[in-house]
Amino acid sequence: MKDVSEVQSVSNLPIIWVLCAATVLISVLQTTLYVRKCLSISKKSQLDPSLSRQAFRIGMISAIGPALGVFIVMVGLMASIGGPMAWLRLSIIGAAPTELSAARIGAEAYGAELGSDKYTLTALAVSWFTMALNGAGWLLFTGIATPSLEILRNKVSGGDAKWLVILSGACSLGIFGYLNSGDILKGWGNRTAVIVGALAMIFLVKTVCKKFPKLMEYSLGIAMLIGIAAAILVEP
Amino acid sequence: MKEEELMKEWKSSSIRIGSPTNIMAALTAFIPVIWLCSSHNCWPPLQTVLTAWGMVAASFGAFYFVEPISYYAALGMTGTYLSFLSGNIGNMRVPCAALALDTTGSKPGTLQAELVSTMAICGSIITNLIATSSAVLIGSAVLSVLPAIVVDGLTKYASSAIFGATFGNFAIKYPKLAVFALLIPVLLKRFTSFPPAFVIAFSVFGTLLIARIFYKNKWISS
Repeated sequence: MKDVSEVQSVSNLPIIWVLCAATVLISVLQTTLYVRKCLSISKKSQLDPSLSRQAFRIGMISAIGPALGVFIVMVGLMASIGGPMAWLRLSIIGAAPTELSAARIGAEAYGAELGSDKYTLTALAVSWFTMALNGAGWLLFTGIATPSLEILRNKVSGGDAKWLVILSGACSLGIFGYLNSGDILKGWGNRTAVIVGALAMIFLVKTVCKKFPKLMEYSLGIAMLIGIAAAILVEP
Repeated sequence: MKEEELMKEWKSSSIRIGSPTNIMAALTAFIPVIWLCSSHNCWPPLQTVLTAWGMVAASFGAFYFVEPISYYAALGMTGTYLSFLSGNIGNMRVPCAALALDTTGSKPGTLQAELVSTMAICGSIITNLIATSSAVLIGSAVLSVLPAIVVDGLTKYASSAIFGATFGNFAIKYPKLAVFALLIPVLLKRFTSFPPAFVIAFSVFGTLLIARIFYKNKWISS
């Protein structure tokens, strides 16, 4: 058990916050540089200067809903992968499910489960490596290939656009089916969390969110809370 | 200056800013784990890390390419750099950019549209940073105030509930596929001892194959 409490304290060390901040600051730097460039280009053109400010405000306000969802999910993520790493991962590419999958896959490759007694510092390191390697896939691809995406897009859309949509849906179902399977076989607590989480999401999207489209932004966070509550009732 | 020249300047500075920052972030994301391993001497075996990498690439590798390509039309060049550095693309970046374009009456492909969508995405990134940073501050406080049973529940069940909810959201669109997507890995895990990487690949490609058959026979549509 010493190892487990060690994982908790080490993954929240102040120095880890500082080291994680490096990557978060790159995102801030990129955003600042683009805002500056936008304003200077807008000045050189004949565009109404208030447009840029209005667009920035729209972005800030419309993001509040989904950002609250990120807030709720992050509290959960902080508990399983540590505060600073959750902050880093949710500030850059990677939504909570992706990061949790990577963390869990890393732990499984080491032969431990997230939050179990076998989850030592080494298991934590494998989880962190896996998240960084996974995120690097998107970052390196867009960092290198974005200029050629214009050409690529034309070629891809020349194919069967409908099939492409179904293809990505099928891939997602396959991945989350796999991720659910571990929980379904684990025990009644996790089984309940998966099943009630899924049913709550389906119910929310199909009924409540149809009437109140704004709730859609919160649907994942709400479904998560319902799933957790049900699981606690079944197996506290 | 003419719009055409400005557009050229915009595109070239977009690459000059976006490309190095995205590549740099890919590298700096390793700093914490490298420090962890060297300071606590807990380097995992290379083989384990490579196995985990292979497994995670088997699940998400296709998305490294498919997502940037499929979102490109909605985000544009600058939007792509910004969105794939800061994430939350489908639920945050694309809706914000689209709303800003609508509200300002900007026509896609124009310089105005480029600037407006970029500014909207930048605004949404700031909100997201505020949310994650305050989750750090208030989130911990909230956790310490919450009763142990709730914190315990979050720790044990948060990921299961999120995975279930995400699966549910996809299942709404493709209910028939969802049955197979869940049955394949459950049966494989229950009745075989295949390694996880194999089970992931079998779940994804099995579901994909079934989707292809359904699509060809017009049993599902997008």
